[in-house]
Amino acid sequence: MMQKFAPSLLVVALGVAIAGCQDNDPQDEKVTINKNPYPSTYKALKSTTTLITNATVLTGTGERLEEADVLLVDGKVQQVGKDLTAQADLTIDAQGKWVTPGLIDVHSHLGAYPSPSVESHQDGNEMTSPNTAEVWVEHSIWPQDPGFNRAREGGVTSLQILPGSANLFGGRGVTLKNVPAHTMQGMKFPDAPYGLKMACGENPKRVYGRKGVLPSTRMGNMAGYRTAWIGATEYKRAWDKYDADYAAGKNPEVPHRDIKYDTLRGVLEGEVMIHNHCYKAEEMAMMIDLSKEFGYHAGTFHHGIEAYKIADLLADNGSCAALWPDWWGFKMEAYDMVQENVAIVDAVKNSCAVVHSDSDTTIQRLNQEAGKVMYRANDNGFNISEQHAIKWITSNAAKALGVADKTGSLEAGKQGDVVIWNQNPFSVYAKAEQVFVDGAKVYDRYDDTYQAQSDFLLGQK
Amino acid sequence: MTKLTHSFSLSLVAAGLLASTAVDAQSIAIINATVHTSTEQGVLQGASIIMDEGKITAINPAKVDADTIIDAKGQIVTPGFIGSMNQLGLVEVGAVAGSRDGGDDKASIDFDPSLAFNAHSSLIPYARKGGITRDVITPQGGDSIFAGLASVVDLSGEFASEKQTHAALVVHLGEQSKGSRAMALKNLVDKLEAQQQKSKKKKDDATPSTEDIVLTKVLAGEMPLLVTASRAADIIELIKLKQQFSVNLVIAGAQDAVVVKEQLAQASVPVIVSAMESLPGSFDSLHASLDNAGKLEKAGVKVLLSIAGDASHNVYQLRFDAGNAVSYGMTQQGALKAITANVADVFGINAGSVAVGKAADLVMWNDDPFDFKSHVTKMFINGEEVSTEARQDKLRKRYTTDSEMPRAYTK
Repeated sequence: MMQKFAPSLLVVALGVAIAGCQDNDPQDEKVTINKNPYPSTYKALKSTTTLITNATVLTGTGERLEEADVLLVDGKVQQVGKDLTAQADLTIDAQGKWVTPGLIDVHSHLGAYPSPSVESHQDGNEMTSPNTAEVWVEHSIWPQDPGFNRAREGGVTSLQILPGSANLFGGRGVTLKNVPAHTMQGMKFPDAPYGLKMACGENPKRVYGRKGVLPSTRMGNMAGYRTAWIGATEYKRAWDKYDADYAAGKNPEVPHRDIKYDTLRGVLEGEVMIHNHCYKAEEMAMMIDLSKEFGYHAGTFHHGIEAYKIADLLADNGSCAALWPDWWGFKMEAYDMVQENVAIVDAVKNSCAVVHSDSDTTIQRLNQEAGKVMYRANDNGFNISEQHAIKWITSNAAKALGVADKTGSLEAGKQGDVVIWNQNPFSVYAKAEQVFVDGAKVYDRYDDTYQAQSDFLLGQK
Repeated sequence: MTKLTHSFSLSLVAAGLLASTAVDAQSIAIINATVHTSTEQGVLQGASIIMDEGKITAINPAKVDADTIIDAKGQIVTPGFIGSMNQLGLVEVGAVAGSRDGGDDKASIDFDPSLAFNAHSSLIPYARKGGITRDVITPQGGDSIFAGLASVVDLSGEFASEKQTHAALVVHLGEQSKGSRAMALKNLVDKLEAQQQKSKKKKDDATPSTEDIVLTKVLAGEMPLLVTASRAADIIELIKLKQQFSVNLVIAGAQDAVVVKEQLAQASVPVIVSAMESLPGSFDSLHASLDNAGKLEKAGVKVLLSIAGDASHNVYQLRFDAGNAVSYGMTQQGALKAITANVADVFGINAGSVAVGKAADLVMWNDDPFDFKSHVTKMFINGEEVSTEARQDKLRKRYTTDSEMPRAYTK
């Protein structure tokens, strides 16, 4: 692919300095920041026209179809319904089985904190400054992490890798297609927006407070965010002015470039989505106000142990909440867990409840994690169906990642990311039998040909 | 105290309190139950169980005679599940140092964290939601390879909880954060050899230290030597150690036990594993797999299941781990034993199965206890009904109840 953007900024900037910067001078070459310097090289595996028949299909849009068929053509879902008559190269009789969209985990550290978790592999959190918005977690990803394969065996077809939560701004996350590859770019989800990891609460104040720098308190956390957004606002203004002046035929001086602020500016411009590690009700409420103070969207709240206390506020703000079913007690801010958190958040109109893992083990069982919530909630007065609960790990997750137009549901035109389960996926006995990404089979429980193995485990006795 | 026939001691204070409550105990019968006995009897349909004085006194008696009769209407009854390898009652919030009592830098052979056991911990009612009635609380240890002493507690949540101390000596071997695992193993061997020598020379009038008492019991095979290790090569060395000292060896962690499953079965070494470990967390666990619990069972190894990660806050999930173990190859009965009878056998607990004379720790379920769709409908510990309501339920109710007033007024 041809480089669409300008060559090195440094070279151009030097040129500007030599030429001076009189507005009336002939214009120097326009400096444009390359927003995609590490582009995806992902290519779907080879696929054929595939017809999955006679399954109980949870579409991810809230529907449940019995004895239904799913047709995958050219890597996409072409049709979902009963008695499809299409000619297919491959027909899979899924009688008695369940079919869902591929699962999506919005919060993973696979590749950045890979297995084995030896010291040399601790690449998930640049814990050297409370604001490391300049780091991109994609630069840490080891695609040989065996965890990607285990997650695929659990039906996970897309996942967002986030940097860790020690920092107020932890850096950019990246969304991947869960296919085996030996480069990060080979997994990178084409055209998925970037995420920016932010963190509230105990982690930043503990990690930096110990070092004797701001923040050591929650008010210090807030001051840290606000200071950064003020800087980002000025940065954006400088670049907007440059662009406007240039467009007006002037030859403006090129603003200083700062990759930390490139990311924050991306948020202010709506191109980078916030993913905010934030447990407590009062903190999430303040993060929403903070976003309004600086004119961006507060994005998705992750972990949100107390999201159930502010379910209305989250829905009103259009914020997704990506939650565990039952983790608790490891920190004070995780003490007020309720097992129905996801269900309470979900029950509000315009809500966006997501079940996430943040774990290299529960990512292998997102279906079970959602099942725990569904059944505990139904024990306590809710009436949640399978076709609804599946949204927490498919379409709602896709929405949180900004890829809902591409994946997360079985609708015509969506990417052919599909899981065939041996039974109701919300059972402890459910197993993904076959997994498809972009119409291509990437896992088969009963066919070794489709069972990927990491370089690391190859040849180990 | 005469009721205690096994070799482990029972806290005198706790036993005294227990005796005073047992006097008031009413006999209870559960009838029409589908009883998963966790014994060779397997599953009994339409069965009745009588509980009295804290014990199971009859199964399927000719005539049901009890103060209270509960019709299970076909519901499943299991023995209460038994957790292990966690710090239940020894931690409230993981990151709050003052609430953590499971470890100590100076912990060694005589470290007994059960002195700090808090029956009122908010973790205990939550654990009961998972059908957990008893737990082997296990020291986290400190700088030494000797982490300290495990104890067994019931989850009644009362200060009168039964507490069975000196249930195992816990030793951490295998991968070391600094230094060699060879030195760690040597330290254990040296300690056992030194104790053997000491016992031979011991004068009759010497007052033994706690360490002497513990090591003597370990060497006599009366107290399990519970060693954490993962790598297959380490497990082989431990089997040799068992043969050398005739200790009652139990291996926990044991992620790569599957590689030497025949040797473990041959040497009758039980293992405590998580059913959910499927990643090579280190070079010691390259063979971690969801299939392992089932493969170990099939090879004839006695398998106990425990929770990986934060096992104290998450012990309630034990039943789901058992379900996953079944899904990946364990038998249903084997998985049940792995969270009941096998744990009781290894730690000398008079519970963990539905049999006459066992502690009346029983749980009634509305559906398959290993699957998410089920929940506890009734629960008994030492023959007394206990609640599964926890602080989490109060919070849920507060935030799902409509009120004109601030939530703080909803209690």
